[in-house]
Amino acid sequence: MVRFRTLAWLALRNLGRELRRSALTAAAMAIGLALLILSRTLADGAHEDWIDSGVRLGAGHVTINAPGHRDSESLDDRLTAAQLQASLAAVADGPTPDPPLASVRVSTRGLASSPEGALPAWIVGVDPAVELAFSRLGEEVVDGRYLEDGDRLHAYIGEGMAERLGVRTRSRMVLTAQAASGDIEGQLVRVAGIYRTGVEALDQSLVHIPLGTARSWLGVEGATSVAVLLAHSSYTDEVVEGVRDSADPADIEVVGWPDTHPDLYSALKLDDGGDWAFHFILFAIVALAILNAVFMSVLHRQREMGLLRALGLSGRETGLVVLIEGILLTLASGIVGVVLGLAVVWFFFRDGLDLSGLWPQDFNFGGVAFDPVLYPVIEVKHVVQSVIMTVAIGLSASAYPAWQAGRLDPAESVKVE
Amino acid sequence: MGENSNSGTVPDAVHAGRSTEDAVQPQGHAVRTANLWKIYPQEPRPVEAVRGVDLVVENGEFVAMAGPSGSGKTTVLNLLGGLTGPTEGTVRIGGQEITALSDRELARVRLKRIGFVFQSYNLLPMLTAQENAEFTLLLRGVPARERRERVRNLFDEIGLEGMEDRFPLKLSGGQQQRVAVARAVLGEPDLVLADEPTANLDSATAEALLDVMEQLNRTRGTTFVFSTHDPRVMERAGRLIRLVDGRIADESTPDGA
Repeated sequence: MVRFRTLAWLALRNLGRELRRSALTAAAMAIGLALLILSRTLADGAHEDWIDSGVRLGAGHVTINAPGHRDSESLDDRLTAAQLQASLAAVADGPTPDPPLASVRVSTRGLASSPEGALPAWIVGVDPAVELAFSRLGEEVVDGRYLEDGDRLHAYIGEGMAERLGVRTRSRMVLTAQAASGDIEGQLVRVAGIYRTGVEALDQSLVHIPLGTARSWLGVEGATSVAVLLAHSSYTDEVVEGVRDSADPADIEVVGWPDTHPDLYSALKLDDGGDWAFHFILFAIVALAILNAVFMSVLHRQREMGLLRALGLSGRETGLVVLIEGILLTLASGIVGVVLGLAVVWFFFRDGLDLSGLWPQDFNFGGVAFDPVLYPVIEVKHVVQSVIMTVAIGLSASAYPAWQAGRLDPAESVKVE
Repeated sequence: MGENSNSGTVPDAVHAGRSTEDAVQPQGHAVRTANLWKIYPQEPRPVEAVRGVDLVVENGEFVAMAGPSGSGKTTVLNLLGGLTGPTEGTVRIGGQEITALSDRELARVRLKRIGFVFQSYNLLPMLTAQENAEFTLLLRGVPARERRERVRNLFDEIGLEGMEDRFPLKLSGGQQQRVAVARAVLGEPDLVLADEPTANLDSATAEALLDVMEQLNRTRGTTFVFSTHDPRVMERAGRLIRLVDGRIADESTPDGA
């Protein structure tokens, strides 16, 4: 222990002697780590935003429906009133700190028509108050308003559909679909408001109508699905498991957003892969810089290494001095890097990083409209991963020079000028 | 060269010209080598730097090895100090055979039994004079108070009082070499190996340094083995060994023996 303390003391004195070199090497690592943390938190923020955008316009983080409904989209595969109540109770009892928002929906494929034409439509009956908090649709109004409690024969349609059908706010249009009875039923509605998400497929087909109107029009008592919005996507698996465990699998099907939004999930995985490749390249460069700095330092001090051997250190102990230098540098860099990284992240918390100049307008993919302003999200797991990656690279980059220092021939080394 | 005439006793030359009142003269071998060879595998022909050296240095001796450049002086010192291993032959330090030891065991031998003084001062630049001098004591776990006291006493003895907190760059060449000598003797090793310690010093400084080493040899009984070109070192040596082409050509003492 005395000996290890002495070696650590020697390493510290070496770092102190070459303060500028040590500081530059540590700065390279610290800046690399800070960039990594910023990059990870922005990526996490962007990913969470994409997920949020996707699930709010779609089926939520968690979707509960009758078995087979996702494939058939038929009203025959629906939740009964009792199953619906049980599902809502299971969601409310879930593991999340705040109760999740559950939107009860009755949806069907049908036709929207006006005197000027007809379009295929995805018609969704919703509770306006709940859906306004759930969906982003309510925030995307370009004319009129979103649905309100008390609305009955109202519809909220997309800009694309309005243009194709030649309707405006307060115009009337007809929705036609197959009811639960199997009969084709029509429903006259008045346009309460028009939205634009930038996702063409949605803007041309998605229609919201009041839940009560949908139920009575289609002859449905329960619901076709319950969409659950969570405080954070990371709760998805827990909630899915919790609701599944509370019910008979023959009665309901519970799935997370990766299953209901497979394109979005694939896009995120692809983006994650790209991020890691970028980080790997970034840190390969930093590692080479550290390796160069530490290795040059060993070569520069070859005579001292030989002297240490002559004075009674073994080759392993001499290498350990160099390794401890690397460890101390890495630790210092890690602390500074985390502080610096979080400080920069904090700077972007308020206004975000605006990339609107670089992105095309209404940029969307897989049914998700991308927000060009990125807000960082700190996921402790990813910050810890970044720190571990930096420490591992710092130590790896010190290991080779340390090994070389341990192998130096003392007799030759003490002669080096 | 077999065991020389001084084997088993302290040679008269060690006492020559010195007061015996304060002399410490321990008995026994400090170093003993047998058929020591060092061959460097080089192209086109291997270089035989040391060729069959048999050498005995008694405790308390003050021995100089002289010879032209390339005669093998430094290689012999490195072999004695365990800094390099022999191609053939054995080296015993204080009775311990060191040629078959592991790197770790050799390091312990160097720490406890051998002190080094190099031509180019070779102090650790990030440490003060005090820290340099006490370095081997620190490695041996000697308590701080005892280290400080021993350094202060020795510094007073060799004219380095007040220099404890100076870094090597703030010391003259002679002062640096004295610190190196202090470092070499403070651990009370069986043997101090000094490779041309006066080569970079002016005459007065070299004489002063030799005074210091001679004094330490006399008062503490420290055994010194030098390699040198310096006639002043040769003059003061208790025994002078001449190396030529890696072999001991002859040896002499001031009394002509």
